[in-house]
Amino acid sequence: MIGRVTQQTMQRSTLANLQLNLAKMSSLQEQMSSGKRITKPSDDPGGISTAMSMRSEKSAYTQYSRNIDDGLGWLSSADTALQSAVSQLRGARDLTVQSGSGALNASGREALATEIESVRDGLLAIANTQHQGRNVFAGTSDSAVAFDASYAWTGTAGGSVDRRVSPDTTVRADVDGSAAFGTGSSSVFALLDSIAADIRTGVDPGPRLAEIDVRMDTMLGELSGVGSRTNRMTTTQGVIENRLLDLQISISDIEDVDLTAAIVELQSQEVAYQGALGATARVLQPTLLDYLQ
Amino acid sequence: MSTFSGISTALSSLIAQRQALDVAGQNIANSNTVGYTRQRAETTSVPSTTVPSMFSTGTAAGNGTRVTGITRMGDVFLDARVRTATSSASYQTSRANTLAQVETSFTEPTDLGMASSLQQFWSGWQDVGNAPDSASARAVLLGQAAALTTTIGDGYRAVETQWSQLRATTATAVTQLNTTAASIADLNGQIRAISVSGGNANELIDQRDVLITSLSGLAGATTQAREDGTVDVLVAGNPLVTGSRAETVSILGATTMAGGIGQPPAGAADPVRLQWDRSGTPLVLEGGSVAAQVTDLGTSGPLASTATMWNDVATSLATAVNTLHQGGQGTGTPASTGLDFFSFASGLPAATGLSVAITNPSDVAAADPVKGALDGSWADRIAQLATATGGPDSLYRAFVVDLGVRTDTASQRATVLESTRSTAENLQLSGASVDLDEEATNMLAYQRAYEGAARVLTVMDEMLDTLINRMAV
Repeated sequence: MIGRVTQQTMQRSTLANLQLNLAKMSSLQEQMSSGKRITKPSDDPGGISTAMSMRSEKSAYTQYSRNIDDGLGWLSSADTALQSAVSQLRGARDLTVQSGSGALNASGREALATEIESVRDGLLAIANTQHQGRNVFAGTSDSAVAFDASYAWTGTAGGSVDRRVSPDTTVRADVDGSAAFGTGSSSVFALLDSIAADIRTGVDPGPRLAEIDVRMDTMLGELSGVGSRTNRMTTTQGVIENRLLDLQISISDIEDVDLTAAIVELQSQEVAYQGALGATARVLQPTLLDYLQ
Repeated sequence: MSTFSGISTALSSLIAQRQALDVAGQNIANSNTVGYTRQRAETTSVPSTTVPSMFSTGTAAGNGTRVTGITRMGDVFLDARVRTATSSASYQTSRANTLAQVETSFTEPTDLGMASSLQQFWSGWQDVGNAPDSASARAVLLGQAAALTTTIGDGYRAVETQWSQLRATTATAVTQLNTTAASIADLNGQIRAISVSGGNANELIDQRDVLITSLSGLAGATTQAREDGTVDVLVAGNPLVTGSRAETVSILGATTMAGGIGQPPAGAADPVRLQWDRSGTPLVLEGGSVAAQVTDLGTSGPLASTATMWNDVATSLATAVNTLHQGGQGTGTPASTGLDFFSFASGLPAATGLSVAITNPSDVAAADPVKGALDGSWADRIAQLATATGGPDSLYRAFVVDLGVRTDTASQRATVLESTRSTAENLQLSGASVDLDEEATNMLAYQRAYEGAARVLTVMDEMLDTLINRMAV
């Protein structure tokens, strides 16, 4: 619309334009000084939705990484324990084979039996291995040992120490002691006890070798289970680290300001502002009164 | 045709030009006065007194000029447009401001906000699950839970404070509305008195129009002009000012948010509302900032929905955690089971009444009762509530996004309406404001005309001098 122009309308529109320019500059400057493109939800409602989801995902993945660190500690304790248990049991097997030669006298048999009993003690100690005060082979048990003096397993059937490694996966961090060592009279400790008794009484422990082999196979099975779970956790750890990095970059892309673009924009805004100021200085000065005598 | 009639013609011009010059002076003096509308001295030529009759003295020049009035160069239609635009712009600006203020109480996206508090709380459960035997992990979890309840309570209280402030602002605005209406009625009375006696009430009309525009911004006022120069002001279709009489409006309803939106400890909602004092009938405004404030204070306003969201988040959090927590088992001897993790204080809104019910760290139920004393799988199950559909996290996030959208939309609409208002005002000003160049030109014209009239007088004088003094008698 073509309207009448007066000093006052000019003054107002100039002021409004200056205000607009200044407001744009202030918003750019705020973005640059804070380094953030989004400082409140209405800055970019779509962006805030993604940013908040990503932040919560990042927090969850950081926690998964912590869980894995903790789980790997458990698994490495279990791994060491099971490896030495297998080697101890192998020693006991050798002793059993040795005792079956029939060329031993009573004192020789007694010595072998005692040696087997000491292997049993060693195995029991290994089965009671602890990680940070908790039983590696009875993870959810609060008793001091995983296997008590009567070889009874103190754990709970179905109870396991699990570590969450992803939103819908958990990995077991302990080892079921009752599976690895057996429990009570069917345990590896009772087996060694009865072999020692056989040796003392001169019975040929030869047929027991098969039982030792079964036990050893079970232990090796558990050991490979520990190995595969360790592997799984380590792999997941790598995946999580990549994901965390991706998330960090994405969050930064959404929330942070692009400095180069912001600087260029600020520069051009400054030019516009200076132009507006210059125009104001020229426009608002002259009136007809300046030229009348 | 008398010998001296020319003198009176020149005199009439001298008087008229001086008056016109006075008006130009008034215009220049008020070139920066807010609401001032430029004026013009209307001059008209005075016809000769000759009447057609038998004894008419033949053709004669007119009898000079005279000022018939001082016109106020306003345009009622442009004024009305400014009022309508002001009413909707104030309404939308006020609503956008309320939303923007609500938004500032949400420190998102940062590591200090509610979302981050929730994430820390769920991580705390995983840490307890990882080390059910660790008293320190449990103590840390209880600390995080307490921090979470504080965050929720603070969020609710921030809304409460904003509500009270807005309520006080609205009460002030209503007082201002009544004062403005009374002033308009007073001015109406003065303008009528002056108009009746044939005087010039232009400056009073300017003042009244400024007040009416400010009333439009407050309450969306419209006007009806009357023949005696007064103006009736209507809000929501009912007269607020009729001639020199003004009605008054009062604000009713609760003064605390609990009462205003019907949250505990108050009972049913006693919403903030307006009413005509004289008739006692309710007043529902259709525009202006007071209308926006009353809407914002209402049970479906942004403050009420924010308060409800905090309550919903508190309830959802407590219900979800408690339901699971009751099925788990703590570590003490005997192991505690069936305990609530969170509790609500009675007689308070869920958000401020929420507190951690567990005081003894060993009562935190991290274990599945059938999986051994140091089981941590139950804590892991509780931690999984973080991603539950309809859980506190998703409720909160959805609200923040929605608030962002609403604030953004409201502020964009406010910007558009503000520019409409500014356009309307520019149009009004382009007609009504003083142009110094124009006034200078007019001044020149009046000055020259004055000089001319003075010259005519001199010539007349010389003529008469010749006639009276120089004639040889």
